[in-house]
Amino acid sequence: MKSHISIQNLNAFYGDHAALRDITVEIPEKQITAIIGPSGCGKSTFLKCFNRLIDLTDGARASGKIMLGDVDVLNGSVEITDVRRRMGLLPQRPNPLPMSIYDNIAYGPRLHGTKDKKKLDQIVEKYLKIAGLWDEVKDRLKSPASKLSIGQQQRLCLARGLAVEPEIILCDEPTSALDPVSSQHIEEQLLELKKDYTIVIVTHNIHQAMRLADYVIHLYLGELVEHGPAIEVLENPKEERTRAYINGTFHTDIKIDTELNLKGNVCPYNFVYAKQALHELEKGKILKVIVDDPTAVTEVPRGMEADGHEVLRARQINKTDWEIVIRKN
Amino acid sequence: MNIRKLKDAFAGRLTLAAAIFSSVLVFIVAFTLYLRSEPILEVKSLGDLLLGITWMPSQSEFGFYPFILGTVYVTALAMVFAIPLSILSAVYLAEYANERLRSIILPLVDLLAGIPPVVYGLFGVLAIVPLVAGIAPLFKNSGISLLNSGSYSTGYSILAGGIVLAIMVFPIIISISYEVFKAVPFEVREASLSLGATRWQTIKHAVIRAALPGIAAAVILGFSRAIGETMAVLMVVGNVVKIPSSIFDAAYPLPALIANNYGEMMSIPLYDSALLLAALILMLIILLSTLGARLILVRIERRMHG
Repeated sequence: MKSHISIQNLNAFYGDHAALRDITVEIPEKQITAIIGPSGCGKSTFLKCFNRLIDLTDGARASGKIMLGDVDVLNGSVEITDVRRRMGLLPQRPNPLPMSIYDNIAYGPRLHGTKDKKKLDQIVEKYLKIAGLWDEVKDRLKSPASKLSIGQQQRLCLARGLAVEPEIILCDEPTSALDPVSSQHIEEQLLELKKDYTIVIVTHNIHQAMRLADYVIHLYLGELVEHGPAIEVLENPKEERTRAYINGTFHTDIKIDTELNLKGNVCPYNFVYAKQALHELEKGKILKVIVDDPTAVTEVPRGMEADGHEVLRARQINKTDWEIVIRKN
Repeated sequence: MNIRKLKDAFAGRLTLAAAIFSSVLVFIVAFTLYLRSEPILEVKSLGDLLLGITWMPSQSEFGFYPFILGTVYVTALAMVFAIPLSILSAVYLAEYANERLRSIILPLVDLLAGIPPVVYGLFGVLAIVPLVAGIAPLFKNSGISLLNSGSYSTGYSILAGGIVLAIMVFPIIISISYEVFKAVPFEVREASLSLGATRWQTIKHAVIRAALPGIAAAVILGFSRAIGETMAVLMVVGNVVKIPSSIFDAAYPLPALIANNYGEMMSIPLYDSALLLAALILMLIILLSTLGARLILVRIERRMHG
């Protein structure tokens, strides 16, 4: 295993709050590294330290070393635009720039000095193809990127990030805003891309980590709990906390206390009904809801998590239906 | 129960009536102006009035061309000064300034917007007019006729009017564009920066682009304020009826014409009607330019969001 990014004694603070504590770990080259852990454990902060987007948050600072080759990313005198160029970012929600599909892809290359129209055309085509979007958009490259579906927008963001020719792709829960089909699409792209790129993906979805990761880093409350090859960490964790986390999110034999069928309901009603049902439950009890509205598959779990409940499982059970299992907290 | 329903129905009607009244008001004003300016339109053709260059009410000569041109010159010059200044300021406040600095500068800018026009006029007379008179000799033969100051300038000029007007409108444009920049989603900046853009590249290529419709709206608002501004401009612009050939020339914008003359010399036939026609023309210029700007706005928005 060859290391690509070497993190040494990384600490990160938001004001007085320590978001990351003394993290030392290596990110292997040309593999997929998944960063797992519950919400608020510092996963995204960790990722933001890599390309120093953390600088944009008021009152945030990071100390320690993040070595990218012989460049220390956290060193103030380093040319941060070069560092960012070496790391593509795939955000939580797709963030297309307010311009055409073509201009979105050409944005990065233009910044870095590619002016030749022919060359830009080639770049746009090449990376849209890599991201698996070319066939869907080749006839409307000049139309606004915001017109694409969310799933297409995320693939556009992937293509845009690749167009500046990075070595590393950072993904911050890249499928959390997507429907299951688009998520699968993105996952397939990532598996394909790891041949040429080092990929770091933040995810709170253990299944996703299992499907994608070669290497796993488990963070809990800003601390590094465990790291190692995916098979070891996910199948046979050494740390009790990792085991608890994996089991907590990966029950196969959960006792369901209440079941609620919300098929035929659209957002936000399915959300409201699920909330009501949870309200009537005692703390710690488990609710299973069945939905068939694609938006609900992402929105219901997110809403419940935002309310402080724990989503144990969200999976497709047949062609049209998904089940979401929530524990009341 | 019934009284509740009654109140409900009444409230609905009342709000509707209020909404209709306020939107119809513009037509009432326009119609009144039209009625009162009709006498002159019956005697003279609209083309002669709009393009006529002689203004001699006692001889029944009412050419509005110098006034229209004066309005256009002063307003355009004001916008030339105000737009870059205010957009750059807004960019600084929204993108670079820290919270402390912002909390000092923004209230000052807002304060500027609240100063009465006549005070700006006085400031113009005391500071801007002498300044213009002072720099005029430097432009004696600048090569570009619009910038030529000729042999002598008192300082009461289009340039002075433009500067005063620019100072008046830029607080409006700044505070609206500031809000617009603040409303640009953080993700747009994140997207651009993560591709290796510098801060300025991000602002120039992504943030300003996302903010464009809002900035256009801010500029339109500033423009509408500028074109109708009367008092401050009237005090510094010279009020001489002639076709201006350079920004150092005096001019006589439409609002100044109306304010200076309405209520006086009403014994001259058609004078009153002519001034009301001037008001109508002013109103139409504002209406058409706002409409044009709206169309541009819609096009920008469509281009970006489809």
